Amino acid sequence: MGPGDIWNLIIGNPVLNVLIALSHLLFGEFGLAIIALTVIVRLITWPLTKRQLDSTKALQDMQPKLQELQKKYGKNQQKLQQEMMKLYKEAGVNPLGCLWPMLVQFPIWIALYQAIMKALATTPENLLNLAQRLYSWDIVNQAIPLSSRFLWLDLGRPDPYWILAIIVGGTMWLQQKMTQAPAVDPRQQSTNRMMLLMMPLMFGFLTLMFPSGLALYWAVSNIITIITQYFFTGSWGYLKFRSPFQSKPVKGK
Amino acid sequence: MGGWSGATVHDGVVYVGSKDGRVVAINSSTQSQSWNYTINAAIYTTPIVDGDLVYVGTYSGQVLALNTTARSQQDFTSLQKRYGEWEWDCPIDNAKSNAIVADLLVSDDAIYVSSSNGRVYSLGKEFGDLNWESKILDEKHGKLWTSPVIQDDTIYVSTFDGHIYALSLETGDLLDWSFKSEAGFASSPVIYGDTIFLGSFDRHLYAVKIGSDVPMWKFPQEKPAGNWFWASPIVNEGIVYAGCLDGKLYAIEAKTGEELWEFDAKNPIVSSPVLMDNLLIVTDESGTVYVFDLSVEIGDEVVPLKTISIGADVRSPFCAQDGLVYIRDENNKNNQLYVVDIEKGEVSWNFSLTKEE
Repeated sequence: MGPGDIWNLIIGNPVLNVLIALSHLLFGEFGLAIIALTVIVRLITWPLTKRQLDSTKALQDMQPKLQELQKKYGKNQQKLQQEMMKLYKEAGVNPLGCLWPMLVQFPIWIALYQAIMKALATTPENLLNLAQRLYSWDIVNQAIPLSSRFLWLDLGRPDPYWILAIIVGGTMWLQQKMTQAPAVDPRQQSTNRMMLLMMPLMFGFLTLMFPSGLALYWAVSNIITIITQYFFTGSWGYLKFRSPFQSKPVKGK
Repeated sequence: MGGWSGATVHDGVVYVGSKDGRVVAINSSTQSQSWNYTINAAIYTTPIVDGDLVYVGTYSGQVLALNTTARSQQDFTSLQKRYGEWEWDCPIDNAKSNAIVADLLVSDDAIYVSSSNGRVYSLGKEFGDLNWESKILDEKHGKLWTSPVIQDDTIYVSTFDGHIYALSLETGDLLDWSFKSEAGFASSPVIYGDTIFLGSFDRHLYAVKIGSDVPMWKFPQEKPAGNWFWASPIVNEGIVYAGCLDGKLYAIEAKTGEELWEFDAKNPIVSSPVLMDNLLIVTDESGTVYVFDLSVEIGDEVVPLKTISIGADVRSPFCAQDGLVYIRDENNKNNQLYVVDIEKGEVSWNFSLTKEE
């Protein structure tokens, strides 16, 4: 059994079959199945998401202290970093902790991309190949073949009207803006600013390249993140937070 | 490009669609190419010869009529429309969604085409002029990838959304009767007497009496088979022979749906079985040809008369004539047409379908 077979057995085929079964339960609408699967994935990854939200909230609460440190050690970057790490350690916060939910999503994206392309079976060969990947569940076989139409989208193809790209980019920007802690030095500030723009632009661009079924997953996932962040932290996070470098720019040497 | 066009034999010439999008005519006595015509689109339909014309449907949505006689005599590279309308192509529509996947149906009067835009077209045989078109499915519910079948003055179509529709042969109008199943139909319908037999995605073979709202029977009767009934069954002397993607060939009593026997080929059976005299010929996806003698009673232990392995990927329809079976290999590397001699139990000759540079 090769790595591809193991991948299919453990991740690929379960995602594919669950997606098709959901489609049958949700009135034959494959788009609704993708939305439902997104919610299920987010529920499964909730422990990781909660850790991320805890970190975000803790970082938010630490902002006054971090700004104090910035004022105190602003001219000595090394000392500033040391003091910040000390503060993070004391508070039990890992500033990189919010990366885990993102990393966990990668295999899900790959599995979902494969599942969408396989389930929609746009060519005769794909439809025939699908036969060997399906479980014997009635609910799965009765749903075949699936319709790729959902709202204005053909879920097997990119959205030609760019609407989904704007939604994915916009929600990603908002989600990042809510969680991105203000930088403690100008260099980091500029990196943050670039990241804040680059990620939404990149995902917006990917939406134009990939099947809109996958982009629908991104959009719904982003919206769920925004909502959970809002209710968990009780605010819009850093959305309205202004970095000290925006009001008091540090002059270069 | 791809496609799984099968081969057809007419007057000693084999016609087949190649994976690189050509219609190739091969002289079977010299085993050499008579002519080829480049379409530049995948071909899923098996060519059909009628009179001087060979008809082919393409994945780009065209129906072509190529003149077999004229092409055998001259070296044409394009369609020859100038000399007495020898040949024609018929763009049903320009959209890619109109891909033709199902085999064409050629009757005495017209050509019937199932299209990926959910419509059935009736075209004139001589010039490809449109007689009628009938919208069976809307865009959301999909494509027609199964061939229609005719009985008397009615044309029957099975759909991926689980319907069998009856259309007027003359006008294409939907008639009153239709049948609805819970699951989609994977195979084209086959009519025997007043009953339609066809395979489903729900892992059953259906027998539906024309005019009835409920199936006459579903096979298997207890639990579903191991996979879809993708290939159309064939019916001979009251027995339905159906290949299944679970690798089994089933022989079923047409009236009752009772299983008479089954044979496990162990590899998916994608192509429909073929009858040649008293011989039932079946191929599995791994390129093993099984031959069953129907003139002798098949007992509890089903043993094929011949088992011939050609080592090809077989998904295309195949044909049999004069003791020879014509099988197209789906394998990209081999890309061959195999001609198997049933009597000798070996490949008689093969022809490369890769275009020579």
